Amino acid sequence: MSRQIDRRSFLRRGAAGAAALAVGPGLLAACSTDEPGSAGNPGPGSSPRSGGTLRAAFVGGGAAETLDFFNGPSALDLVRARAWHGTLGNLDPSGPDGVRYGVLKGIDIADDLSAYTLHVRPGVRFTDGSRLTSADILHSLSALAARSKLPVYRLAAANFDLARAKADGDLKVVLPTLRPIADGRLILCQGNFLVVKDGTKAFRESMPSCGPFRLTGFTAGQGSAFERYDDHYGHVPHLDGLELRSIADSTARAGALTGGAVDFAHDLSPVTARTLADDAKVELAPTKSPYLVGLSFQLNMSAEPFDDPRVREAFKLAVDREAMVKTVFYGNAEIGNDLPSLGFPDYADGIPQRAHDPGRARALLEEAGADGVKVQLTTGPETPGMVEMATLFVEDLKKIGVRASVRELPPGQLYADFPAYSALPLAGSYQMPVPALSTYQMNTAGGSPSAFGWKKSETDALVAQARAERDPERARELGTRAQRTRWDEGNQVVPVFKPNLNAQAKGVDGIPDDLFEQFPGFSRASLA
Amino acid sequence: MNLLAFAARRLAGAVVLLVLLSAAVFAATAVLPGDAVSAVAGVDASETQRAEVRAELGLDRPAVQRYADWAAGAVRGDLGRGFVGERPVADVLATRLPNSLLLAGLTLAVTAPLATLLGLWTGLRGGVADRVVSTSAQILAAVPEFVVAALLVAVLAVWLEVLPRVSVIPLGGTPLDVPDALVLPVLTLSAVGLAVATRLLRASVADTAARPYCEAARLNGVRGVRLAVRHILPNAAGPAVQALTLTTGALVGSAVVVENVFDYPGIGRELQLAVAARDVPMVQGIATALVAVMLAVLLLGDVCARLLGAREGHGR
Repeated sequence: MSRQIDRRSFLRRGAAGAAALAVGPGLLAACSTDEPGSAGNPGPGSSPRSGGTLRAAFVGGGAAETLDFFNGPSALDLVRARAWHGTLGNLDPSGPDGVRYGVLKGIDIADDLSAYTLHVRPGVRFTDGSRLTSADILHSLSALAARSKLPVYRLAAANFDLARAKADGDLKVVLPTLRPIADGRLILCQGNFLVVKDGTKAFRESMPSCGPFRLTGFTAGQGSAFERYDDHYGHVPHLDGLELRSIADSTARAGALTGGAVDFAHDLSPVTARTLADDAKVELAPTKSPYLVGLSFQLNMSAEPFDDPRVREAFKLAVDREAMVKTVFYGNAEIGNDLPSLGFPDYADGIPQRAHDPGRARALLEEAGADGVKVQLTTGPETPGMVEMATLFVEDLKKIGVRASVRELPPGQLYADFPAYSALPLAGSYQMPVPALSTYQMNTAGGSPSAFGWKKSETDALVAQARAERDPERARELGTRAQRTRWDEGNQVVPVFKPNLNAQAKGVDGIPDDLFEQFPGFSRASLA
Repeated sequence: MNLLAFAARRLAGAVVLLVLLSAAVFAATAVLPGDAVSAVAGVDASETQRAEVRAELGLDRPAVQRYADWAAGAVRGDLGRGFVGERPVADVLATRLPNSLLLAGLTLAVTAPLATLLGLWTGLRGGVADRVVSTSAQILAAVPEFVVAALLVAVLAVWLEVLPRVSVIPLGGTPLDVPDALVLPVLTLSAVGLAVATRLLRASVADTAARPYCEAARLNGVRGVRLAVRHILPNAAGPAVQALTLTTGALVGSAVVVENVFDYPGIGRELQLAVAARDVPMVQGIATALVAVMLAVLLLGDVCARLLGAREGHGR
C-alpha cells in the first residue's frame, strides 16, 4: 500500500498524520505469545510498576475530529480506537498463524480457500457486562468497517464478500472470500479491525466497549482520557490511566516531551529527534524493521522518457543511497532496494542490492537516446525528509547528465488532486509499512492509477497465485518472482527506509509489546 | 451626519463587504487544485466511487449554486457540516473562535497601552530615541512571526525554562486554566503587533504635534506630560484607534502561524487543517467568521475614531 492509504491524513494533517492510515496490513513484531498474556501477569523477565497515567502526543485531527475511527484517519484516531475497542488480532510472525489473536480464539480456512471461519474467544465482555458474540464481530466488520471511506478498511472488503458474511451460532463467523486467498489472516489481524457492540451506529463517549482502556473524556482536537478496564480479556494493562494528546507540530511534540507535559511523543522529524539526543530525561524509541516508511520516487511509465526500461534503470543506478541515509537521516535509516515492504516476511530479500553506478547509468541513458533529457521531480513535505531526498536525487541525476529540477508543493498539496498526482512524470512519494504482496494487490495491480503506468498482467497473476498458495515455500517462490519483475523493469525507486522517530521519557517501557509498533499501543506499557 | 446614521451606513457597507468577501473565499476554494473527494473517498477509490462521493458531497453541482445554497443557509444561521468528520461548522467555531479571540484580546491589551506610550514618546521627542525605536519597530515588523516565536521559545522556554514550550491545555479545559501557556503566544503576537502599531501612532502623534494649536500651546509654556495628555492625545486618538484596528487585521494572519507553532487550539489552526483537506464548508464558515470579526473591529474602530475625532481642536 503506497501513500494512498495515508492519503486522507495527508490531506488533513500534512506530514505526520499520514502515517495514520498506513495502518494497513501490517505489523509484525517481536513478541511470541499467541494468546494475550494473562491478567496481571507482566510476563517473564520484566517487572513493570503498576499504575500511573501515561500521557502521549500524536498528530490528531483538529476540532472536526470525531470518535468514529472508521472515518478518522489521523494517527491519534487509530491509537485512541485501539485503546478503547477490542481487536480481531495483530500480526505476529512468531505466532503459529503469523498472528496474535485478540477477541478471536482462532481463524480456520476452508480447504478450497473459499471461506474463513472466525472463532470468537469465549468470555470476552464489554464494559457493560454483556458478552461479545459473533453478532458483534459481524456488525463491526460488515456494517461499520465496510462502510468506511478509509482505504485501509477496504482491504477486508476487497478480499472478503462481507455482504454474504454470516454468524454460525454465538461464537462463529463465516466470511466467504471473493477469490481464493491463503493470507487472509494477515489481512484480518493487522491490529486495525476493531470490534464494538452490535447495533453501534454512532460513537459516543459513554458507549460500552471491550478494549484495554475505558474512555473517560474526549475533547475534539485536543485529546482523550482513559482508565484501565479491569475486566479486559486476557491482558489487563499495567497503567491506571492513559491520556492521548493531539499536538500537530513535530517540534511542539518534542517540546511537550522535554517540558514534561507528555511521556511519549510520536513521529518526530529527523532534525527534531536529533535535538533530543543530548537530553538526559528522554530517549529516542525509533520503530524498527519492518515498521519503516519507504521513501520513493515514482517514474511514470505512460510518459517519456520513462516508457524506456533503460531510462528507468539508469535513474535507479544514479541514486547515492548511502549519502541520503547519512545526510537526510543522520544515519538513522536503512538503504532500500527499489522494492517496498522491507522487513516483511514476504519481502524478496534474496534479490541483490542495487548498486550505485553513475557510469553505467550514463551509458544506459545514452543507449536510450535520453542523455541530457529534462525532467521535473514534483514532491512536497508530506513526511519528514521527502523534500531533502528529492533535492539529493536531483543532484545525483545531474551527475549522469539529466537536466533535473525539483518542484516542491506546499504541505497538503501533493495528493490533494489525485488524478493530477498520478499523471506526474516523476513524483517523490512514500510507502507505508505493509506486507509486499498485499501492497501490490492493492495499489499496483490492474493498472491502478497509483501504479504510474505499470500494467503487467503476468506479474498481477503471479501475485494472485502467490497469495492463493497454501504451501509457504511455493508462495515465497512465486512472490519473489513477482517482485523480481518489479526490481528489473519496475518504475519505482525506493532508496531509503526511515523509522518513525518516536521519543519517550526515560523509564517508559513496554510500548512495542503491543505489537502495533508504528502506531503504539499502551496495553502493555508501564511507567518507571 | 450624526453618529447613528454614520454607524448605520458603515454597518451596511460592512455587510456588503462581508457578502463579497465570502463569495471571494468560495471562489478561492473552487480554484484550488483538487477537491474533498480525494480526502473523503481515499485515493485508491475507483472513478465510480469518486463520482458517488462527489454527488454525496454535492460537489457535482455548479459552483454558483453551491455558493447560493451555502449563503442561504448562512443567513439562517446554518453554516452546514464539514466534509471531513462531518461536524457542524458552527460547533467548531464555537469551540475554537473564543480561544483565538482570547489570544487577540490579550494581545491588544498588551499592545494598545505600550504602543500609545511608545508612539507618544517617539513622536514628540524625535531625535535618537525616536530613530532607535522606529528602526527597531521597522525591523521587528519585517521579521516573520515564526522567527519571533522561535527566538522567544529559545530564550524563555528552552534556556531560562520559565515558560512552557507548548500550550498543552487540560482536556476539557480552556486556555485560561493554564495562564502561563498563553504567555508565549501573546508575547509573539504582541511583538509583531506592537511594531506595526507604534509606527502608525508615532506618525499620528508627530502630525498632531506639528498642528498650529499644539505649537500655540507649546509657546504658552505647556510641555511634557501635560502637553501630551491635554493636547496631543485627544487629537491623535482618532487616527490612533484606526491604527490599532488595522493591526487587528494583521493579527488574524499572525494568529494562524502562532497557533500552529505553539499548538494553540484556536480557529487559525482549524482553518489551515480545513484548507489542506479541501473541506469547503469548514473553510467557508471559518473564513467568513474571521472576516466578520475583522469587519466588526474595523467598524467599531471607525465609530470610536469618529467619536474622538469630534474633539478636534479641544484643549486649544
